[in-house]
Amino acid sequence: MLTKKLPPLQSFLVQVSRRASHVARQQYDVIVVGGGHAGTEAAAAAARVGAQTLLVSQKIHTIGALSCNPSLGGVGKGQLVKEIDALDGVCGRAGDWAGIHFSILNRSKGPAVWGPRAQLDRQRYREFIQSELLSTPRLTVLEGSVEELLVTEPNPEEPGQHRVTGIRLANESHPISASSVILTTGTFLSGSLFMGQTTSPGGRIGDAPSSAGLSHTLRERLGLRTGRLRTGTPPRIVKDSVDLSLAQLHPPDSHSTPFSFLNTHTRCKPEEQLPCYLTYTTPGVERVVKESLHLNCHIQQDTKGPRYCPSIESRVLRFPGRSHRVWLEPEGMTSDLLYPQGLSMTMPPDVQLRLIREIPAMHRAEIHTPGYGVQYDFVCPTQLSPALQVKSTQGLFLAGQINGTTGYEEAAAQGLWAGVNAARWALSMPAVALSRTESYIGVLIDDLVSRGVTEPYRMFTSRAEFRTTLRPDNADLRLTLKGFEEVGCVSSFRYQKAVRVRDSLQDALAALQSLALSPSIWRKKMPDIPMSETKNNVPTGMDILQYNDVSFETMASAFPECLSPYMEFSQRLKIEAVYRPHSEQQRKEIERIQREENMSLPQDIDYLSLPVSLSQEVREILDRVRPSTLGAATRLQGITPAAVVHLLNYVRHTGQKERRPHRYRTDQREDEEPRARNTSLPR
Amino acid sequence: MQPSVYHGVWRAAVHTLRTRGTPPCRLLSTAPLADAETIFALSSGHGRCGVAVVRTSGPASATALKHMAGLTRNLPPPRTALLRSITHPQSKEVLDRGLVLWFPAPHSFTGEDCVEFHIHGGPAVITAVLQALGSVAGMRPADAGEFTRRAFQAGKLGLTEVEGLGDLIHAETEAQRRQALRQMSGELGRLYQDWSHRLKRCLAHVEAFIDFSEDELIEDGVLNQVDSSVCDLQAEMERHLKDERRGERLRSGVQVVIAGATNAGKSSLLNTLCQRPAAIVSPIAGTTRDVVETALDIGGFPILLSDTAGLRDSPDLVEREGVRRARERVEQADLTLVVVDCAQLSSDAQQAAAFIRGHLTSILPTQEQPETVFPTDRFLLVLNKSDLLPEEQKQKLDRELRCVSGLPPVCLISCHTNEGLQDFLTVLHSSVKTLCGDPLSGAPTLTQARHRAHLQQCFAALAQYQRYRDMDMALAAEGVRLALTSLGRITGRVGAEEILDIIFKDFCIGK
Repeated sequence: MLTKKLPPLQSFLVQVSRRASHVARQQYDVIVVGGGHAGTEAAAAAARVGAQTLLVSQKIHTIGALSCNPSLGGVGKGQLVKEIDALDGVCGRAGDWAGIHFSILNRSKGPAVWGPRAQLDRQRYREFIQSELLSTPRLTVLEGSVEELLVTEPNPEEPGQHRVTGIRLANESHPISASSVILTTGTFLSGSLFMGQTTSPGGRIGDAPSSAGLSHTLRERLGLRTGRLRTGTPPRIVKDSVDLSLAQLHPPDSHSTPFSFLNTHTRCKPEEQLPCYLTYTTPGVERVVKESLHLNCHIQQDTKGPRYCPSIESRVLRFPGRSHRVWLEPEGMTSDLLYPQGLSMTMPPDVQLRLIREIPAMHRAEIHTPGYGVQYDFVCPTQLSPALQVKSTQGLFLAGQINGTTGYEEAAAQGLWAGVNAARWALSMPAVALSRTESYIGVLIDDLVSRGVTEPYRMFTSRAEFRTTLRPDNADLRLTLKGFEEVGCVSSFRYQKAVRVRDSLQDALAALQSLALSPSIWRKKMPDIPMSETKNNVPTGMDILQYNDVSFETMASAFPECLSPYMEFSQRLKIEAVYRPHSEQQRKEIERIQREENMSLPQDIDYLSLPVSLSQEVREILDRVRPSTLGAATRLQGITPAAVVHLLNYVRHTGQKERRPHRYRTDQREDEEPRARNTSLPR
Repeated sequence: MQPSVYHGVWRAAVHTLRTRGTPPCRLLSTAPLADAETIFALSSGHGRCGVAVVRTSGPASATALKHMAGLTRNLPPPRTALLRSITHPQSKEVLDRGLVLWFPAPHSFTGEDCVEFHIHGGPAVITAVLQALGSVAGMRPADAGEFTRRAFQAGKLGLTEVEGLGDLIHAETEAQRRQALRQMSGELGRLYQDWSHRLKRCLAHVEAFIDFSEDELIEDGVLNQVDSSVCDLQAEMERHLKDERRGERLRSGVQVVIAGATNAGKSSLLNTLCQRPAAIVSPIAGTTRDVVETALDIGGFPILLSDTAGLRDSPDLVEREGVRRARERVEQADLTLVVVDCAQLSSDAQQAAAFIRGHLTSILPTQEQPETVFPTDRFLLVLNKSDLLPEEQKQKLDRELRCVSGLPPVCLISCHTNEGLQDFLTVLHSSVKTLCGDPLSGAPTLTQARHRAHLQQCFAALAQYQRYRDMDMALAAEGVRLALTSLGRITGRVGAEEILDIIFKDFCIGK
């Protein structure tokens, strides 16, 4: 069931204010700047946690806009969407509502790396997000441009420490005050657009550039280190002008799997969904790129580009003589456009047209909107805590591309977590952290804050050490329970549902475990299973379910009395049985990392003069990165074990008595361990 | 790249410190904290000792004792020495005849079940017993500081002993690192590096297949290449593990290196020590260009003495290579004899000390900058050519330098007249004796046993790839990851970024 009906869009627009003077209050707990994927999740999460929240966006009708590709999820990214949903975020349900082509990528490669993905209808996605924000209690939406971020002078007792007090909008004299401000400005921070030889200021075509005041405050007043990154988007192609018979048809899955744990089906039925098309570049494409290089500012400035290939230019230059994939994706149910995934380009529009026409299916294609490149500033994310709060500025949180990431899902994940912590900060609750041992969101944030970025950061499953434990199927068990019990960002409705799922799965696993029979009885009951003769032990249902050809359904039909109550979980039980032995092996390593992560390092240590035995090199690394926990410190390059021992000796002796209220949670999880041990499902 | 030994040390350190913060009741509990693994190590020194002691700690100790001491029925009475034949648990080959002692938990050094094997001190016997222990299920070589850590967890150590834990771990890490460096610079090292390189590629290609093959063009042949690579690796590792020669023979002994500026008299010192003209001596600076190595016996302890090229910047290619080798040797050395021409020292003690300090810093390996204190126990300062100084200045220098703190032990000698040689030999003997008491220095057998255990894990993990190859790529990839982690304990840890580097180099991956 899809959980909500959309109210008509008009009523939404009526209820949001377009001018600050119309806003009921001039004070909020949390202000979110930006209405993209990070901003919308941040605002919704802050409000769920209980904060009076204001979302400020340049244009209300672009809230929830998909600026680039019309799709959500994929390998690695799909895991993030499942986790955002498990924490009651918005994008999973929006995807189920707006999706017009659902498929699970990597279907043949194992459930741990399945990539739930959907093509989206841009219009429907925006509608859902806007209506969701509207119906979120405690959340106000305001159209406006932020002129200035308001921060206090540095605290004389703690040099370099500022506190955020609010924002000031353009053309408004009165500031709006707040305890927390979340900046999710995407590519708008000193953004420039590139097409051919022309450049213009801005973060997205058709939108005004953001004010210079914001970057000034971040860089000059708060002294934050920034870097510059680049991205781009392909031209949009007129669908009717493409000869799709010359491209390979890729239909959606015959059965759509929703992103959200709350949904049993997607809004768009499989038979109504639209296909994607696959085609390839030709030598002609390479020729056009090479001939037009002198007309291409964005590429010429490619001094220190990323290791992957963000544009068709970089693809053919770095891997010449090959044919590259181009996906033609629908832009919406009724849209006349196609999105050519893989053809991001920045050359002049007439050359873009020449280029796409070198591909047979597009030999007569027309361009609706040309592609362009964007260069923008990001704030080096090692200056953030794992709560995504700027270490030097209390109450200031950053999420999304401003932290050097790329992708909707990466932005949404950070937005959600920044929203949670911004609200908790405003409500004087301690910060919460997600471990990389329990979630991809934790991997993402830990990678960002403890290692930083040199190219736009994108999630891959290979970044997660515990990939076989952090699966899309069990995101609810990993996060929904914690999200309700410890974080406060999950509704009790979702929580109750997750509790029921957990209990049923536990009962089912217990039933499977208690089904311990001799091999001969197994063979009699299930003649098809490949049971080895030599084994003289008594395999359980869990053991048998691990076999490649045994499904839970087959087993339930052999033992209906004890297994049939759990038919609705058949797929999850099968997955659990296959991965269980490996999760057990990983448990010790996971517990070790969690112990390290539970040992926090005070943020105000002066590493350079600390009276302990540390080499200068180690001191400089620690001083630069300021890891929040021992776990983060251990992952830094160049930190020796002895250095950590010495450091901890010092912290143990001096740090404990002055632990601050806003430090990260410590040791609590350990106290809960006995209970966790008894449950048979991974948390 | 982090040295392989870090991982375990790390875990030990962290574990211990966590325990330190918990209330005393927990601290004194005898239950081991989730350490189901049983560890073993040589706990006596090496060299010319009659008896070597090999110790185990953990639940599998009893099994090991039963299997290796032929005690099929009952364990021996606790804490009572028993003379037994010690056999290999699988091949039943008799390795030695020695004493075994059984210390059931909690009355043992670590609070866990412990066994001590008192065996004959020859390297062959020690190696055989260590490798036999490694073949018992659930047993692995101990990481640096691990016995101590377990003892601490069990509340068996006093606070003062714990205070030194950081330094202990540092010392053991360093010793293991030097040992590993020595081993990795040879043929065996090249073999392991080659395996590591191939495994990295395998993993990168499997990961590329998982993360990108749905969107990007990942050639069909990629997985087949991985398949054949994994097969080859398995076969090579199996052959290597079965090879009775156990790789190249490493010379046992404390590694002592003579280093210093040109013409300080390093080669003369070598010749004096080994009482024969092993190295060419001349007044021409830069005479020694390669490493000259001699095995020596100092007061009953085996040492491997190396003379190296004088450290200076030289335009000569051959000499430059010699200097590079010299620095490499210092890095790998257990003990470095820094030779200084004392005729070049200022008569003012403070100035002389400052000169010596600067000199030492220039000799130290760069990544091993002193962590506030100079590692004096690994250096001896030899002031040569004392015959060139007037008697009065000699005594003043000797007296005053001894009072300067932070300098290694100082010996004033003359290789020309043998003046001061006896005193120097006494100091050298005591240093070598201390080093030999440390079971980690100079004993390649221990490193070999550790490497073998990691290789076996690596080999086993590759089987997981094969098992899941057609069922579940995530689990198959897990096998390659585990294999690389195990091998990484020898060749250095491999991070996710390094794998991504290979992926992006080999495949065109879009936005």
